[in-house]
Amino acid sequence: MNSGKFGFLPTCLSVVALAAIFTTAWWLHPERAVAGFAVAGSPHALPLASKGPFYSTRFASSDLDEFVHASSVTSLPDGGLMAVWFAGSREGAADVQVRGARFDAIAAEWGEELVLATRESTQKATQKHIRKLGNPVIALAPDNRLWLFYVSVSIGGWAGSAINAMYSDDLGETWSTPRQLITTPFLNISTLVRNAPVFHQDGTIGLPVYHEFLGKFAEYLYISPNGEVTGKSRISKGNDSLQPTVVPMDEQHAVAMLRYAGASHHRVLASRTADAGRTWSKPYPIDPANPNSALAAVATPNHGLLVALNDLEDGRFRLRLMETDSSLDLWKPVIDLDESPDPEGNPFTPEVYRDIIGDKFRLSSGPRRLSLVDEFLTNLDKRVCKTHGCDFEYEYPYFIRSADGLYHLVYSWNNTFIKHVSFNDAWLLEQL
Amino acid sequence: MPELWQAHLTFGLLAFIVTPGFGLGRGFQGLRLLLLLGISFIPVDGLSLAAYMRSFTDDVAITTLVALAFFAAVRLGLMAMPAQNARVQLLIVMAGLALFLYPATMGLSYLDPYQLGYAPRPLIAVVGVLALGLLLLRNWLGASMLGLATLTFSLGSKPSPNYWDYLLDPFIALFSCGALLVYACKALVRKPMPA
Repeated sequence: MNSGKFGFLPTCLSVVALAAIFTTAWWLHPERAVAGFAVAGSPHALPLASKGPFYSTRFASSDLDEFVHASSVTSLPDGGLMAVWFAGSREGAADVQVRGARFDAIAAEWGEELVLATRESTQKATQKHIRKLGNPVIALAPDNRLWLFYVSVSIGGWAGSAINAMYSDDLGETWSTPRQLITTPFLNISTLVRNAPVFHQDGTIGLPVYHEFLGKFAEYLYISPNGEVTGKSRISKGNDSLQPTVVPMDEQHAVAMLRYAGASHHRVLASRTADAGRTWSKPYPIDPANPNSALAAVATPNHGLLVALNDLEDGRFRLRLMETDSSLDLWKPVIDLDESPDPEGNPFTPEVYRDIIGDKFRLSSGPRRLSLVDEFLTNLDKRVCKTHGCDFEYEYPYFIRSADGLYHLVYSWNNTFIKHVSFNDAWLLEQL
Repeated sequence: MPELWQAHLTFGLLAFIVTPGFGLGRGFQGLRLLLLLGISFIPVDGLSLAAYMRSFTDDVAITTLVALAFFAAVRLGLMAMPAQNARVQLLIVMAGLALFLYPATMGLSYLDPYQLGYAPRPLIAVVGVLALGLLLLRNWLGASMLGLATLTFSLGSKPSPNYWDYLLDPFIALFSCGALLVYACKALVRKPMPA
């Protein structure tokens, strides 16, 4: 191949052909401008948002047999909601499915569970061997396209994850086949999604993601309205941050709060952008503690943030709602959404635990799921009780503020149910 | 499946290169290549063998595919191996690109060079200069690898919209770095000791 047998003319023709190829590639790929964040305007004045204080809880899931985790929720144009989570015999099992349910705003109750994706359906669509599924995230785009992102693993553990995307143009009645997003040059592995996407003014989806292979760090993906990754930026580097929750404050500014996965300070990390996500400041620890667990945040009308998190250095036995200002300097607890009766989170004997969790179930379930309490207590199993006793675990919050001004939180309730908490600004004002 | 053309081609070419030729003539080698391409369609666990392999390798870069096709052509006796200096030139280019991309994109820095593949004009310019340089050095394989990778990028032949995914994958990156290291070690060993 490296010889002088080719003459002057073929070489000249090759130079021209090569120049044409690279010039065409240059011409076909112009620079893309990044649009500012689409910051929510004033909420529509719907009854529950404008009335007096309102706070309500209920279970979104209903299957008692499965381990359920990593929930996500989005509001729909009719005032309803759609939530998704993963369910299976255990986390990482081959039988894990992405499930969902719809919330009827009139009845104020969640409907039956739906199966949205399975290992088999994902394998068939992506034409890749799939070992397991996890972390679904659902979001309604400004063009009313409903997006579902979730991770799948072909090889290894969660570090081998890739993100799949599917969408619905009829608000979740029917779905496109899932397609794998290509997000890294290393076998397209090690990109996971967990937190709520944000949207840009041109319809671009801003998806906070994180990596777990070799390093643990956070990134921000730009995804076009038709689902193609068009760019990315790095929020953190190294080996100690995961699961960024991104909250736009105005068209150009946003705050990212990150789960701390290191071993030194056990504090939530924060980073900021001033150019709609193109660059991020170096993450720094802020006041709330973080036991290497997920957190979620939304903006409030007074330019502050509400954050749901395990404000603990160890364990996930208390899920707290906190308020902070935009500087992230002043933090104030709003309410403990769920907590173990033991302030240190120590385990309970099965007998004591049964009584406590039975009461908590009745307070949490909402009317429709209340009838499940006896079966739930009969089948209290290894999921919450181990040899050392039974633990309480409230984790993986996901937070949105719907167009009607209501706040909606979903989280894992002892890995047995997905709990939904909703409240309004009047209730929030009352707590502060 | 048309969308898996690259996986089938990769499987067939790779299997052709790594399996012995049994001293068969050119015609039989051609048949062996066709047979291996056919084997790539055999279903396993609901997926073709090629798709199964792709589950773990993802779609390889176009440069890798061109290199595989070239080595297959060498085995078929259609082309000759490039001279050592041409091989080293190509390895330097690919290893340089790999060392620029991989350590940083795996989380070592706040700058992610993979982003350059989404806004690829600067990268297209750099790779264009490299390809032109290889061409002027009469390194036809190198120029073809970079040129075809760029052409297929413009045609959107792979699912990825990122230019890097046409230029590099971990296999060609590791191969280039490893082979260059071997060349460097050999050169050091051969270097005469000062008196």
